[in-house]
Amino acid sequence: MTETLTLLTGGATVGAPRWLHPGAWWIWALGLGAAATRTTNPLLLGLIVAVATLVVSARRPQAQWAGAFGVFVRIALVVIVIRVVFAMLFGVRIGATELFALPTVGLPEWMAGVTLGGPVTAEMLYIAVIQGAQLATLLICVGAANSLASPVRLLKALPAGLYHVGVACVVALSLAPRIMVNVRRVMLARRMRGRPTRGLRAAAQAAVPVLESSLDDAINLAAAMDTRGYGRATATTARERALQATLVLAGLVGIALGLYAVLGASGWGWLLLGLGVVMAVAGIAVAGRRIPRTRYRPDPWGLPETLTAGSGVLAAIAVMVFATTSLTVPLSWPTLPPVAVAAILLAASPAVLTPSPPLPWRTS
Amino acid sequence: MSQLHAVPLRARTLGALAGVSAVGVIAFFWPFVVAPTSIAADHATDAPWFFALLLPLVVAVLLAEVSGGGADAKGVAMLAVLAAVATAVRPLGAGVAGLEPMFVVLLLGGRALGPAFGFALGSLAMFTSALLTAGVGPWLPFQMMAAGWFAMAAGLLPQLRGRAEIAMLMAYGAVASLLYGFLMNLSFWPWALGQGSELSFVAGAPLAENLGRWVTFNIATSLGWDIPRAILTATLTLLAGPVLLRAVRRATRRAAFDVPVRFETVESVTSERA
Repeated sequence: MTETLTLLTGGATVGAPRWLHPGAWWIWALGLGAAATRTTNPLLLGLIVAVATLVVSARRPQAQWAGAFGVFVRIALVVIVIRVVFAMLFGVRIGATELFALPTVGLPEWMAGVTLGGPVTAEMLYIAVIQGAQLATLLICVGAANSLASPVRLLKALPAGLYHVGVACVVALSLAPRIMVNVRRVMLARRMRGRPTRGLRAAAQAAVPVLESSLDDAINLAAAMDTRGYGRATATTARERALQATLVLAGLVGIALGLYAVLGASGWGWLLLGLGVVMAVAGIAVAGRRIPRTRYRPDPWGLPETLTAGSGVLAAIAVMVFATTSLTVPLSWPTLPPVAVAAILLAASPAVLTPSPPLPWRTS
Repeated sequence: MSQLHAVPLRARTLGALAGVSAVGVIAFFWPFVVAPTSIAADHATDAPWFFALLLPLVVAVLLAEVSGGGADAKGVAMLAVLAAVATAVRPLGAGVAGLEPMFVVLLLGGRALGPAFGFALGSLAMFTSALLTAGVGPWLPFQMMAAGWFAMAAGLLPQLRGRAEIAMLMAYGAVASLLYGFLMNLSFWPWALGQGSELSFVAGAPLAENLGRWVTFNIATSLGWDIPRAILTATLTLLAGPVLLRAVRRATRRAAFDVPVRFETVESVTSERA
């Protein structure tokens, strides 16, 4: 099996263990997720979940954040349960196949005059389960991206205009575990002095030394950053500043007005919205010109990245074109559209076509 | 006493804050204004995903504006450390969402360092705590927006000092954490229920009817969590607020945010002294 794959890929694409570009994982996952929003076919939804699970189990790195997948699967199951419970209590009574009846309770007029309970039909339950499963599949895809893509490497890919925010983010991410250790240390000291370690008052009193030491850290950190030239910005001309301000403000106004027009069903809303988005992106790009810096060892975007992202996008397109369905009453058996199935199966290829993540002692 | 601003509040920063907030208001409250013929009414369950992709862009625009427009290394360091504190104390909260201690940090940070810094702190703290727990999901952009508003408004409240300030912050903390829960419910209301249930919004229906459905949805889902959270936030603010606020203010005085930096030649300094 491995030999065949090596032959197929020419042995070049898999290569030595390295991190795949986090953006490729996110595009792949969002593509699969977008496919899930277009179809109500339980077979296709199940296939998408299986593909995501397969890739995660094959390419999940040994890192703390990689455990996210299980958490997202649990949230996804809760979403289905919530959907079903709400359908039974508040749902519109459709379909003829009555299974059982819940006692009805009328709520007062100020609570929208809702009636709780009533007969529960098989159609209602099926629709609730499928709609819940759509959301659940999407969440599982997002969970797959969470456990495959390294968050710190994602921050490295931020545009230059967000460089300072990215620095703040990386510092916060590396400081937070230390602060948690500080909290534990302060609590231990309190216990040794016979002070209470539980309850609100204890938490409030423990907060003081923790915050004081962290704020001291902040000032020392700022001094250290200043001496190393962080937070430095080059001088800009008045014209550049005016250009940036105009792009940002006009972009935001365009987005807001465009959204409002789209909600009001005006035709030109999308145009305005698109224009606003372009201007806002250009504003970030212009802001980046103030911050001169080079990227240290940027993550490469090679053939595996293109294949991964492409397989996700392909799955989304195939399902949108060949398998877009909506729920109808009376219910019918789901079929298997061959093109959509093939495209979703192709999205499992990153499980073998991508380099495996490095082992823990080689993580950056 | 005038307020200190870790990020200078210039007209363009205020304009960007207002623009981002306008987009945020639409992203949360669109079910109340959407026309029945609009594409968003047909795709009610997809619309929150669209906004979840749009909101990060506008928040990024604001963060680039705030951090590029006047925040120096001290501002970046203070932002990072307060976000780290908020991230670290998030797991200490009770309940599923567990946000009370984090809210107190955001409240005091926004209060002591100004509205623009507050917005950046709120959204960044939500982002880093999601990254640390690998909880990046469709809810995150809405959380970043709502937490940004939460901390921003704390900086916009009237400039009182002493006991009156703590009382005001307690009341604000309780009301705002309740509103935070309501807003988060609003963000996934069309998404979690779909259309066709008796609690789903009806595009084009009178405002009062949709409001009634939304309030009922709040009561049915999360009011049992939101009220204890509001009480806990107010209590924590009362217990820890005065000391922590003093600590943050002392640190900001040491960091000397508002002091302009001037570079002068040595001759001119000595000639001034002479």
